[in-house]
Amino acid sequence: MIGTLLALFWSFCKIGFTSFGGMSMIPLINSEMVSHGWMNAMEVTDIVAIAEMTPGPLGLNCATFAGIRVAGILGALSANLGVLAPTFTICAAAAVFFEKFKNGAVLTHIMVLVRPVCIGLIWGVIVTLARTNYIAGGAIQPDSVIIGLLCAYLVVGRGWSVPKVIGVAAVLGIVLCPAV
Amino acid sequence: MKEKLKTALGLYAYFFRIGWFIFGGGWNIVAQIQKDFVEKQNKLTGQELLDIVSVGRSMPGTMIGNVAYLFGYHQCGAAGGVLAVLGIITPPMIILSVVTVFYRAVRDNPYVARVLNGVRAAVCPIILAAVLKLQKTSSPLPRPVFWAVVGAACVASFAFDISSVLIVAAGVLMGLIYHLMKRRAGT
Repeated sequence: MIGTLLALFWSFCKIGFTSFGGMSMIPLINSEMVSHGWMNAMEVTDIVAIAEMTPGPLGLNCATFAGIRVAGILGALSANLGVLAPTFTICAAAAVFFEKFKNGAVLTHIMVLVRPVCIGLIWGVIVTLARTNYIAGGAIQPDSVIIGLLCAYLVVGRGWSVPKVIGVAAVLGIVLCPAV
Repeated sequence: MKEKLKTALGLYAYFFRIGWFIFGGGWNIVAQIQKDFVEKQNKLTGQELLDIVSVGRSMPGTMIGNVAYLFGYHQCGAAGGVLAVLGIITPPMIILSVVTVFYRAVRDNPYVARVLNGVRAAVCPIILAAVLKLQKTSSPLPRPVFWAVVGAACVASFAFDISSVLIVAAGVLMGLIYHLMKRRAGT
């Protein structure tokens, strides 16, 4: 049991350290699960589908799904801690470093350029998500576009809070989206 | 010490609350932090949020875990960071545990698919609202230069599919050049 938990932790550690979020994790998740005999390729496809459709970051969702199947709740915990290992080590070190030097001339000047880069990256995310969320199979999805425009009005124009807008979108999804 | 513990526990509670709504790779959480802490409570400036996102996005691991840690650390040190991360991962763990058990029923339920379709359509406007506010944060760069950098980073990420780590690294490099120019100019 302890051996399995450690193996899960170590597998997801590797997945966490070598990926920078999102889809980049999938190939390694696939090889780690299959090589340990924890899952077959078909089940890995299932994980990705399920991790995609439920709220939460892909890496953590895969960790919970695989962990529970292999070793129950404790398995899920070890796998989650594995994915978070880079956060608690590298990112924690970066936080100390950043807070210490952020008022120095060099870092201040670096951030002057990194901030617009970051804004550009967020615009990139919006474009990428818009492509997958409003277009399916090469055709624009009118129901999604209508929900998107209405939510844009609520959140940009009226300044609604995020959970409220998500709630409205969920209800509109039931009302407007065609049965799948 | 007691005050710090209270803030750290408050961070756990806050991230636990918003952890139920992580969509679009966690970018809507960035929007939520922008709204709650930059706009309403003034506990964070837009610039500080951009710094947190830039650092979090360029570190390995999940972006949202990194952002939660950096934000928690900024608010009240390492304890804040750890509790913020634990707070944000609890809801996805609960949801996924339930979903894993009822996997087939959830996957084949038409209402689940429709709700998720609707929510996915809302993610873009939510992130849009945040970025519209964030890009108003003051910058010493001349406006045309600022927008050129924004445009270049955006095109590099979605049109050329360049990893965001490399794009941020390019930003760091430009920042170093900017620093040398400033030093030569003696300011």
